[in-house]
Amino acid sequence: MTVAGGAARAARPAERVRIAGMTRLLESEKVLAVALLTPGVVILVLFIAYPFVMALWYSLTSIRVGDPGHFVGLANFTKAWNDTVFQTAFRNTVFYTFWATIFKLALGMWLALLLNRHFRFKRIVRASMLLPFIIPTVLSAFAWRWMFDPTFSVMNWVLFHMGIITDRLPFLSDGDWAMWCAVVVNTWRGMPFFAITLLAGLQTISPDLHEAAALDGAGAWHRFWHVTWPLLLPVTLVVVVFSVIQTFSDFQLIYVLTGGGPANTTHLVATYAYQVGVASGLLGEGAALSLFMFPVLFAVVWFQLRYLKRVDAN
Amino acid sequence: MKRRKFLKAAGASGLAGILTSHRAPVFAQANTVHILRWNDFVPAADKVLREVFAPEVQKALGLKLNVETVNANDLPARATAAIQSGNGPDIIMLLNNLPHLYSSAAVDVSNLAADIAKAGGGIYKPAEQLNTVGGKWVSLPWSLVPALIAYRKSWFDEVGAKSFPKTWKEYHEVGKKLKAAKHPIGQTLGNTFGDAPTFTYPLLWSFGGQEVDAKGKVVLDSKETIESVRFMAQFWKDAHDEGGLAWDDSNNNRAFLSGDISASLNGASIYVAALNGADKFKTEKGAPLHTDILHAPLPGGPKGTHAYHTAFNHMVMKYSKNAKGATEFLAWAHKKENYEKWFVVQKGFATGPTREWEKHAMWNNDPVMLPFKTAPQAQSRLMGFAGQPDKKAAEAWNKYVVTVMYAQACSGKMKPEEAVKWAAGELGKIYT
Amino acid sequence: MLIERKWKKWFYFYLPMAVFIVFTLFPFYWMAVTAFRPDAELYRTWRQANATPFWTLEPTLEHFKGLLQTTAFPHWLWNTMLIALVSTAISLVCGTFAGYALARLKFRGSEFLGTAIFITYLVPQTLLFIPLADIIRDMHLGNTPWALMLTYPTILIPFCTWLLMGYFKTIPKELEECARIDGATRFGAMVRIIFPVAIPGILSAGIFAFTLSWNEFIYALVFMSSAELKTVPVGVVSELIRGDIFFWGQLMAGALLGSVPVALVYSFFVEYYVTGLTGSVKG
Repeated sequence: MTVAGGAARAARPAERVRIAGMTRLLESEKVLAVALLTPGVVILVLFIAYPFVMALWYSLTSIRVGDPGHFVGLANFTKAWNDTVFQTAFRNTVFYTFWATIFKLALGMWLALLLNRHFRFKRIVRASMLLPFIIPTVLSAFAWRWMFDPTFSVMNWVLFHMGIITDRLPFLSDGDWAMWCAVVVNTWRGMPFFAITLLAGLQTISPDLHEAAALDGAGAWHRFWHVTWPLLLPVTLVVVVFSVIQTFSDFQLIYVLTGGGPANTTHLVATYAYQVGVASGLLGEGAALSLFMFPVLFAVVWFQLRYLKRVDAN
Repeated sequence: MKRRKFLKAAGASGLAGILTSHRAPVFAQANTVHILRWNDFVPAADKVLREVFAPEVQKALGLKLNVETVNANDLPARATAAIQSGNGPDIIMLLNNLPHLYSSAAVDVSNLAADIAKAGGGIYKPAEQLNTVGGKWVSLPWSLVPALIAYRKSWFDEVGAKSFPKTWKEYHEVGKKLKAAKHPIGQTLGNTFGDAPTFTYPLLWSFGGQEVDAKGKVVLDSKETIESVRFMAQFWKDAHDEGGLAWDDSNNNRAFLSGDISASLNGASIYVAALNGADKFKTEKGAPLHTDILHAPLPGGPKGTHAYHTAFNHMVMKYSKNAKGATEFLAWAHKKENYEKWFVVQKGFATGPTREWEKHAMWNNDPVMLPFKTAPQAQSRLMGFAGQPDKKAAEAWNKYVVTVMYAQACSGKMKPEEAVKWAAGELGKIYT
Repeated sequence: MLIERKWKKWFYFYLPMAVFIVFTLFPFYWMAVTAFRPDAELYRTWRQANATPFWTLEPTLEHFKGLLQTTAFPHWLWNTMLIALVSTAISLVCGTFAGYALARLKFRGSEFLGTAIFITYLVPQTLLFIPLADIIRDMHLGNTPWALMLTYPTILIPFCTWLLMGYFKTIPKELEECARIDGATRFGAMVRIIFPVAIPGILSAGIFAFTLSWNEFIYALVFMSSAELKTVPVGVVSELIRGDIFFWGQLMAGALLGSVPVALVYSFFVEYYVTGLTGSVKG
């Protein structure tokens, strides 16, 4: 309504002057920048910065659900620090992020190299490789949980009938196994994104470079290491940054796959914070637990951004 | 082109529909009651709420009843968010002693509780403890889902157990033979809300262990507790399906129904599922599975026999703009003639909040369900024993401290003594 | 010689490709088999002799029927789509504008702002959703699709901005300058010259944003309460897991149907997606 009305009025001379004034104003880089950045920044401030500050305040109080509590200083943080479950959760998170990222990178790179070749059904294969990435995590995690189920596991069936095992493997019933299962599922889910992004990176590399190297007698591995890899490095770093952030604060996968069990051995920081903050209603402690993720992520990103800038500068 | 036009039109009307849909409740709010409950295991019971209660409430009280059901594990998240944001369902179902956790957000329903008690010959004592804080009723007990061991009669017979073992020691012996016959006992020790704590707490108590003393001092690290953990670790190895460490509340149902395990602590859901799917679930001899299922209470230990049954309560929320309507609805729903409609479809899976319901004719229908009738009376202790089932007990319960203690010893990750020490330490941080 | 090369191609290409395909697609196959499997077969353990995990001899549609008839699944699908589309659109507008400003315009604090936008991406959702619940209440958005349409962009804008920033940097400045000489305003040049060139980048940012919103779980779980307003992940998880038993057939049917729309979008756009990313990673 207002848009239409405005357009109708625009015909009037006075309005025309005003619009001209607006355009002139937008010619200034500063004004245009402000105008362009405002919508995004407003949303981010309103829905991230402001709640973030509130969450910071929560973490310093004894707030419980339905009870605002009072200022307790760093008590929530020290309690978390001395909490053995939190310590396990933190170690798990690092373990999970580290291995999942390594696998996603290695396998994603390999897959990207394969997909970069010409073969029949290329389009459909490329599209289907993205499926794990696009299905909602909670839903695919349920499918995996069903595959790992102690009583019904199809994996056990396969391995048993191939004669590899005589009794079932404790996929989710042993803490260490369950953690590796989570790594596998996360890799499965995240690998396509790595592969497609790296594939995009590969396509920017001119084939001439490879031919030149091949003429010089360089083997495939050598060519990858000395031609492809250095050129892919910036892209790789960006993907790794995003992946580390997502994996480190992952919640859905563990929530569905193990719920943090058996015996609290598979909690991640996010799932444990959720259990404390939400299930037990200790909002202050939950906020403090979640906040432990922030400095780690911050450090990772800071280093990587700095590195990127250095690469950019060269 | 045509298709695009259609999509556009559908998009526009759908968008308008959805965007305006939130306005409807605003003026309808005065006479709408939004109730949030778990997804009932007995789906027919949810159907009663939606298809029988809703129209009748509309007629009787002029209330529009909006029933929402979610996975029980997600209830606390929804309650927390609703209370913090002061916006959400008018009535929220809370399990066990969670009403203590959310008491500050509750409307006082003491009068209503008194009416229900009077009409029904008294509310069970444990239910009173779970739902009152400082002498005030903060929520109303709706039902109790007793946890009993469902077991395969024929398999127990085969190993020479003519009746269900009365003590842990006998159960251990029988279990050994069952596992040797490839029919292990199934029990979850995972982080899950129902079947795990309803097993581990009574086990602890029957050996004489307790979380705290009457004054709230942590006394878990005792000879008795260690004894119970040591027993369980051995029992686990000898008689249980070791996959149980990864189970949630549903795994044992599936394992039992598929003939993988011989016994499991559970609500009546295994039996009810076998009953409803008599053609699907068969014994290895081809008979309907339900004819081979019986129920028994947990065995006893050196310090008696104990049980804990999962309690389902309704809290009227203080933030609700229609607390009056919500209270009226609960009063209506607790009336005998109305409650009964919900009660009978449960077939005994859930028992009523008052003694009165033990007398109901439904119990005569099926002798296999009979042990559930009086199960609530056996509920001797609550979480946080020998203290109160208060906020702290709820925190310990929600963090699965007791369950994890057993799980750690059973998985071999810790020695029994270490597991107990760890759990006592965790309790110590909660009871400060 | 030829034989040896053929052998090599099998070993270095077809074999690993096949392994990748099995690894990526097996869970989907598994979902499909489960969704069509009758309940009686679902209750066969892996140890039982008659277990046939890889196929079913009596495929049934009962799970799909149950899903569509007893739950609000069609509503969920529709909501998810609508919410994902709107929040993607919002994020794309914000992200394109912000990306352009950060890549092309010189102003004080641009670097700081770029980093600040990136950092918002680091704040964990589990930390935010309780305070967010307050804000949603104050804005009277509780239990309306807007609660999600406005909060999802917070997860999407940082990524969109950064991806497009990279993309804009690869577009030669001359393009814009030519248009400016021809008398176009700065804003006009941006909208009419630069944005069309950046379409592959915008598309890939959009596809990514769409996927993330389709995937979101916590906010949708907490902010929406009416059954008809839920999204697919929340609806399937909260209504198909019934206290004591899982409806695996329906659950998997829901998972399958819930990913079809996105899969279609991708199969159409995957080439654009790659090209779009190609542009942005160049920068």
